[in-house]
Amino acid sequence: MMEKLFDEYRGLSDKKIRPNEPKSEQFLKAFKELLDKKNNWAFLLPFKLSLEACTHCGTCAEACPVYIGSGREKIYSPVYRADMLRRIYKKYFTLSGRIFGRLVGAKEITERDVNALAEAAYRCTICRRCALACPFGLDNGLIMREARKILAELGIVPDELKEEGVENQITYGSAPKIPYEALMNILDFVKSEIEENRKNVNIEVPVDKVGAKYLIINNAGDYLSFLDTIRGIVEIMNYVNEDWTFNSQNTGVFDNVNYGLFYSDKDMIRVIRAHLETFKKLKPEYVVVGECGHAYDVLGHLMKDLIPAEERPFKVIHIVELYDKFLREGKLKLDKDKNSAPVTFHDSCKIGRCGGIYDEPRRLIAASCRDFREMYPNREYNYCCGGGGGFALMSKYNFLDFRMKTYGKLKVQQIKDTGASTLITICANCKRQFLDMVSYYNLNTTVSGLSEIIANALVY
Amino acid sequence: MYEYMLLIVGIILPYLTLAVFGIALAYNFFKWMFLPRPVMWAIFPAKENTVSILLTIAKRIFSLPGPRKFDKLIFTLAWMFHIGLIVSLSLHAKYIFLPHLPFEYEMGSIAGLFAAIGSFGFIIRRYYDKRAESYFADYFALVLLIITLLLGTYIRILKLVDPAQLWGWVQGILSLNPVLPPTNTLFLIHLFFAQIYMMYLPFKTLIHPIAIFYGQKVILDKRHIGKE
Repeated sequence: MMEKLFDEYRGLSDKKIRPNEPKSEQFLKAFKELLDKKNNWAFLLPFKLSLEACTHCGTCAEACPVYIGSGREKIYSPVYRADMLRRIYKKYFTLSGRIFGRLVGAKEITERDVNALAEAAYRCTICRRCALACPFGLDNGLIMREARKILAELGIVPDELKEEGVENQITYGSAPKIPYEALMNILDFVKSEIEENRKNVNIEVPVDKVGAKYLIINNAGDYLSFLDTIRGIVEIMNYVNEDWTFNSQNTGVFDNVNYGLFYSDKDMIRVIRAHLETFKKLKPEYVVVGECGHAYDVLGHLMKDLIPAEERPFKVIHIVELYDKFLREGKLKLDKDKNSAPVTFHDSCKIGRCGGIYDEPRRLIAASCRDFREMYPNREYNYCCGGGGGFALMSKYNFLDFRMKTYGKLKVQQIKDTGASTLITICANCKRQFLDMVSYYNLNTTVSGLSEIIANALVY
Repeated sequence: MYEYMLLIVGIILPYLTLAVFGIALAYNFFKWMFLPRPVMWAIFPAKENTVSILLTIAKRIFSLPGPRKFDKLIFTLAWMFHIGLIVSLSLHAKYIFLPHLPFEYEMGSIAGLFAAIGSFGFIIRRYYDKRAESYFADYFALVLLIITLLLGTYIRILKLVDPAQLWGWVQGILSLNPVLPPTNTLFLIHLFFAQIYMMYLPFKTLIHPIAIFYGQKVILDKRHIGKE
């Protein structure tokens, strides 16, 4: 039984956090480096602004799904969590904090604070709904991400994100270490299954094709856990008869994830570089991000800021944008009666609130489903499912209980209120969280990607 | 002794206040302006051009969309407070140009009262609302403001100060030929607290309007809306 460090849950092991080892000095050193332009040029402004300009009005709390889902426990409010770091910032890095101390909320760091922060930083999925609520646009989610960056410098990162995530991806081409032969077998199986279902249809699954118009790079987890989505993609791309390809480890990284986003700019850039090397070999016109949210956030948005334009001679789009383009061009003939069960749609945070894709999936669902029911709130106000920030991968100790009893509880109610029997989402981490939710709460809901829904509605 | 007080509160302190306020405000604004911001990490729906960004900022200042959606109480209090304060401060600023406006006492009294009620509500909310910790500094700014606002409103309602005399004092300060301020004691206390608050403002509270210009929701250019 591990000791409590922040709340009744644990997401990281004692081996990782090392609760009895003094870390506060190292923490302050890493914090100081993070406040330096040279070390944190990318996020310094919003980070410092969010640390300094908060008036503690608490408006963000009512926007936070974990706070609401927990029954409004104070420790889960965004401002409380951010204040754990903010108070240390005031004490060591501001004049007023040094002079006036507790009067301005400054606090001396203790070993207990560092241990608590190590867990608290992993109670926020960085869904950034709080930033939407803040009257000044401050981002307590970003503060939690920066806290994770400090902790990463101390070696405190969940194995699921670093060792089993980033390191695997860079070494083996995918986080789940799918061997080449296994990948090919999976794709052969997908091909034969579609050909069996759709008589007289010849299916091609190009892999590592150089110079294809569309390079579709999936979340590798889809090849293992959400094969229906892969099947959907293959069928749709064959249906529209476009020039496209998947890739494998033979050309580099074939997993679109970038878990560096969740804990370290350095690792995020390492993965971006590995992706760029891969794209350089394959020379696509478009890099199409498969059904994954955070991958789209990094490749579709952050990469544009972090990497000069000449180093990325391709366009990046989410696969839903591509389907939407096909639909608007009349290339997709869909029969909505083929999907007659009531469906609802979950706006993934990284695709909606952080990605700007709201209308495309709705157009596609409207064209391929008979009974679409919005969940409320939706679009930019939608609640995070609880799988974001790397959480969908973290189930050890009692962390699954945390995910289910806070975020999950709120989300389950939202889904139930729609009365839909199928939940559609376009992010692999959301899907994982929903599958866990279905089993944890014994829900009678089918979790689906959009690709298989569209593929099912295709008219031949 | 009283004359020294008049001199300090009515002549020395105003120049000190203007200097501290101006320099600290400019420092705060430029500090953020010169920090690099290569990564936008936007919140969508995004704004596609400068006009829509400016409209969004204006909307955010006057309609407080976040609090309106998520916390009706703070929305109501913030609205009362800010509108009251803006009207009240405008009626003070008018002494730069005009000695008197019709209904200024009535308007000023109502505005001051609105702002005071708003700030009092903030204090009560802070005390009872346990979602966020509040520190001495958070209460200090509000208490200072309430004292200033209530004194100002009381002075206006009872018309304790002659506007012509105030006009003369303001003009004297601005033209660098200062004259002593009106001698009413309550007015001098009001003036003293108002100046302390103004000097404190840029270090604490005034960061938040600046934050509106740099916060996460404003943003964007073509790169971030997929139209590169």
